[in-house]
Amino acid sequence: MDKPITIGLPRAMLYYRYKTLWHSFFEELGFSVIESAPTSKLTLEEGAALAIDEACLSLKIFLGHVKALIGKCDYILIPRISNFGINHEMCCRFEALYDLTRNVFRESGQKFLTYNADMIQKKSEWAAFMGLGQFFGFTVKAANKAYRTAKKAEQRQQKAEQKKQELLYRSEKIKILIAAHSYVICDAYIGKPVIEFLKGSDVVPIRADVIDPEDGAKAGKELSPTCKWQINREILGSIVQNRDKTDGIILLSAFPCGPDSMVNEIIARRVKDLPILNLVMDGQNGTAGVETRLESFIDIIRFKEGKL
Amino acid sequence: MEHAYLGIDVGSISTKGVIIDKDNRILSSEYRWTEGDPIGAVKELVRSLEAGFDKEKYKIVATGTTGSARKLAGTIVGATMVKNEITAHAVGTTTFYPEVRTILEIGGQDSKIILVENGVAVDYAMNTLCAAGTGAFLSSQAKRLGIEVEEIGDIALRSKHPTPIAARCTVFAESDLVHKIQNGHSREDIIAGVCNAVVANYLNNVGKGKKIESPIVFQGGVSKNTGVVAAFERTLGCKVIVDENGHLMGALGAAILAKKSGNRNEFDFSMEEMEFHTREVTCGRCTNNCEIICVYRNGQMIDFWGNRCERGANFK
Repeated sequence: MDKPITIGLPRAMLYYRYKTLWHSFFEELGFSVIESAPTSKLTLEEGAALAIDEACLSLKIFLGHVKALIGKCDYILIPRISNFGINHEMCCRFEALYDLTRNVFRESGQKFLTYNADMIQKKSEWAAFMGLGQFFGFTVKAANKAYRTAKKAEQRQQKAEQKKQELLYRSEKIKILIAAHSYVICDAYIGKPVIEFLKGSDVVPIRADVIDPEDGAKAGKELSPTCKWQINREILGSIVQNRDKTDGIILLSAFPCGPDSMVNEIIARRVKDLPILNLVMDGQNGTAGVETRLESFIDIIRFKEGKL
Repeated sequence: MEHAYLGIDVGSISTKGVIIDKDNRILSSEYRWTEGDPIGAVKELVRSLEAGFDKEKYKIVATGTTGSARKLAGTIVGATMVKNEITAHAVGTTTFYPEVRTILEIGGQDSKIILVENGVAVDYAMNTLCAAGTGAFLSSQAKRLGIEVEEIGDIALRSKHPTPIAARCTVFAESDLVHKIQNGHSREDIIAGVCNAVVANYLNNVGKGKKIESPIVFQGGVSKNTGVVAAFERTLGCKVIVDENGHLMGALGAAILAKKSGNRNEFDFSMEEMEFHTREVTCGRCTNNCEIICVYRNGQMIDFWGNRCERGANFK
């Protein structure tokens, strides 16, 4: 290859879950990988203009990120990740994401790259990555080697994040578990201001989404044995494992999120021993409403502990 | 000189202020409409509070602000404590009603419920995306029916058969209401139905899943509406306490919090003569285009906020 093929990763949705896997796999095969810049108001505005009104905030942000990458890379990676087995499913947005985005940008001339992970249809992640390798003319052997390396890097990163997270529980300060999809909590425009506000209020925010996916999904059964969605199962598992070590839970979701609207209701009904704040982000301009709710939630916890 | 404490609550509809002594006794209080001008309302409020206040005997050593304009109000009065309205209401109410278990609050644009155990707030909820079932809804329906919002209570109490009105969403409630009017339901039944709808909406949204235990204190502007009070009592099946100073609870809470905090800064009544104005500027230093609010006193910028990142921090 003279000039390496460039793969663009929109910094939204499943990027936060798979960024190490994607980076490592493509770089191992000699590609260059670029990412869109963190979400700003412009990302959201541009994405909202491309989406139908009823789409969730996260999808609008995703389209904004794709737009930022158009023409800047050879391929934009948008996988179709449907499920990891029965009752370990993804929101249907992730089934539609590739087709939907490709259609939104059909006149741009941009090339998109996808893979299909769907265990119910016996399509594994491994097979999907072998397909990606073949698409670019690599042997199964070379693709397999890159995938194994990428998987190892992913595990290392997950373990490191989980370890860092464990340390947070040792803090003497008030600890609040944030139950949210990683693409909500890690997003620079919607999740980060919440995290920063909490840190600025002398509170330790802890992410519920940082958990081993299998362990989490297993532990989550205690709160809901029949929950259909994998990511929500993991978050439920994190609550089960950590509820004794936290002072409160914030259910942070992007409007309108189908899985969250159901699962957050389950959490509110079944977790009775901790204060819970349900915070729905709608891309509103002002942060005042959010700050009022966060501030009073922290006050409630301090009231309880006699610190106010 | 004895110490006194000032609390100011600037809401979307009304602005409330109170001066208390060290034993939380009210020395002076005032209530007025915000009328879309929080700065003007605070200045007028301070002027009225001063008139009823003994400046020879007391000096104000700490000031707390709350309500949706708490930050702006805090800047122009030099507050020592700026606190959200939920905490302020909880503190104010539990100080005067230590036994309270549930605080219901319906204001001009938002509504909340605060659950209290052993005198401390343990849980709360606030209305989410829309302002359904708040004072704003009552005002617009009063206007539609050609009556003053203050008259709603008395008219509602005359009704024998309140008209059922869809309560889930204000927009649906409104079309349902128009339909019932055109079908010939009497005005008092419609108005009583509106009061019931406010209560049903509140309990379905804000109060959903919360255990409402007695004693219950109801406050916020809508608590002055006897029709809504009656609807709450009927639905909850128990007495609902409405304090004559219920509208002041946020301001009282802010004053008490300012007293407790230990931060001191003597309040200067001369602020009512000063000229304050605000200016909104778009930062433009990155694609967030933050809207930064700058506050000026006598032409000099004294504070600004609204920036999401440090790029807007040294804004001039």
